[in-house]
Amino acid sequence: MKYAQFVMGPAGCGKSTYCAIIQEHFKVALRRTCRVVNLDPAAENFAYDCYADVRDLISVDDVMEELDYGPNGGLVYAMEYLSENMSWLEEQICDALDDDYYVFDCPGQIELYSHLSVMREVVDMLQNEDFRVAGVYCIDVNFIEDSAKFLSGALSALTAMVNLELPHINVLTKCDLLPEGADVERYVEGDSEAILSELRTSMHPRYRKLNVALGQVLEEYSLVSFVALNRDDEAWADELTSSVAWDGLLGLKRRQGAARTSSEQNENSE
Amino acid sequence: MEVEPAPDPLQSIPKSPVVVLMIGMAGSGKSTFMHRMVVRLQSKQKRVYTVNLDPAVRNLAYPVNIDIRDTVNYKEVMKHFGLGPNGGIMTSLNLFATKFDQVLAILSRRAESLDYVLIDTPGQIEVFNWSASGQIVCDALAVSYPTLVCYVVDTARCVKPVTFMSNMLYACSILYKTKLPFIIAFNKKLGRGAGERIKVLRIDVIPHDFLKEWMEELRRFRDFEKLGDALSRETSYVASLARSMSLAMEEFYSNLRSVGVSAVTGAGCEDFEKAMVEACKEFEESYVPFLLEQRRDLEAKRRAAVEEQAGPEKAVPLSTPITGLSSMRTIEQTRR
Repeated sequence: MKYAQFVMGPAGCGKSTYCAIIQEHFKVALRRTCRVVNLDPAAENFAYDCYADVRDLISVDDVMEELDYGPNGGLVYAMEYLSENMSWLEEQICDALDDDYYVFDCPGQIELYSHLSVMREVVDMLQNEDFRVAGVYCIDVNFIEDSAKFLSGALSALTAMVNLELPHINVLTKCDLLPEGADVERYVEGDSEAILSELRTSMHPRYRKLNVALGQVLEEYSLVSFVALNRDDEAWADELTSSVAWDGLLGLKRRQGAARTSSEQNENSE
Repeated sequence: MEVEPAPDPLQSIPKSPVVVLMIGMAGSGKSTFMHRMVVRLQSKQKRVYTVNLDPAVRNLAYPVNIDIRDTVNYKEVMKHFGLGPNGGIMTSLNLFATKFDQVLAILSRRAESLDYVLIDTPGQIEVFNWSASGQIVCDALAVSYPTLVCYVVDTARCVKPVTFMSNMLYACSILYKTKLPFIIAFNKKLGRGAGERIKVLRIDVIPHDFLKEWMEELRRFRDFEKLGDALSRETSYVASLARSMSLAMEEFYSNLRSVGVSAVTGAGCEDFEKAMVEACKEFEESYVPFLLEQRRDLEAKRRAAVEEQAGPEKAVPLSTPITGLSSMRTIEQTRR
């Protein structure tokens, strides 16, 4: 069994930094290698050590220049090109051994997850190659300033999740940039009661029922839980990896016969 | 160029012009729909003002009054800051947002002689949605004029129930983010070239009615089996989640104004206008008191965000000076 994380999230939310931190954590704390694959053909610089880069295959800059496309058309073209040349990606990962750990840095455009099938194809391909894949959705904590925006973020994560059908983790990035005394705990712990009560005062009464209905779904499927990422706080990575949900989903402890988790349930249901 | 002070944040919100923010995924037909609405509204003797916020667009299908491209050259921004296409768009929008008070000043000068202000947003939907600049623009507009959000959806791409669900989820996400009256326009997308027309006509046959039917069914809450059926045909485990979601979304649909339109043929635009009027009423009746309450807050937040955005940028010499904003005035003058 091999493992892979799919790191998604809107542009500028800190996906690449997240990948770098994970890689570092693997190296230092777990003494394992973690190979990061860049799947964003429009990527700029990134902080991690890149194992394979989709821009070796095709980059949006080239598409824009040569075919005279705009950035959107360029990205779609590049991703479709990737989907036609999936063998390239297969070659990159074909030497993966058991217990190898991969992280995929994905582009942020939401239409890739809701409209195009290429991300889904990548996931399917990985699963055929005996990878266990988990989705990680990053959201910049600075945009989660109130409950409505929090819900908005949870829903956009859900959009990706519904389409990729992966076990899913939400990560709040840039928590180190928060002002002192900011209250993220509430969101991390997924206290839907508190969130709902805040929504009651901040949203228009017209949406009250919708708030409650959404709150219920989020709670029932435990989608409200976020993991906070604070890059100044070294303990976070340990905390993160030691949390049961995290371990179960990403398969770190699975070899030690960890408890039944949602990813396994998922597997069984298939 | 003299910058007039932004309108006093505590005076009441005027009834016109109505500001419509067009949000939609790349290729959903925002610009074409803008064009359709501009033509239509103008033929009805309405005075329309258009704003383009997409720095990367090549050709605009509609006449534009304020264009971000006059102010910020996105290619230059990419080169200057060493950014990729995404970062370029985001930085351009951020730079523009720091000057958004000038846009507001222009609008306030022209407000009395305008009925509608249509605003086109970047195709990278999350750049507008998940950035400080998008928020600045939204908040600034909402406290100044009646503001509606129009989410343009490509109907042909909603045929798969899961795609439909994720589209609706995203719509819901935007609703929570902007907290403004919301209209969904199911755009029956038509191709640009005549050669594509035949192929496209077949797509166009997909009526948005079936989507509405799903919604209606859910709304009545009696018989949601149709969507349930469609979803269970998908073999995914997420289908069960989607089913629960669809029940929860019943509330969303019941609050939702949805209109089927065709940007190319113009069908359904009348319904859209009606929806706009309704949404406006809603804005006046229920949002204004609400907004007025939050106005001081919003204004303070906006200022803080602008300062934060302006801070680091000031340190870097810009190859494309923002003074290009004066070109707004030229456009405006020619319009006069």
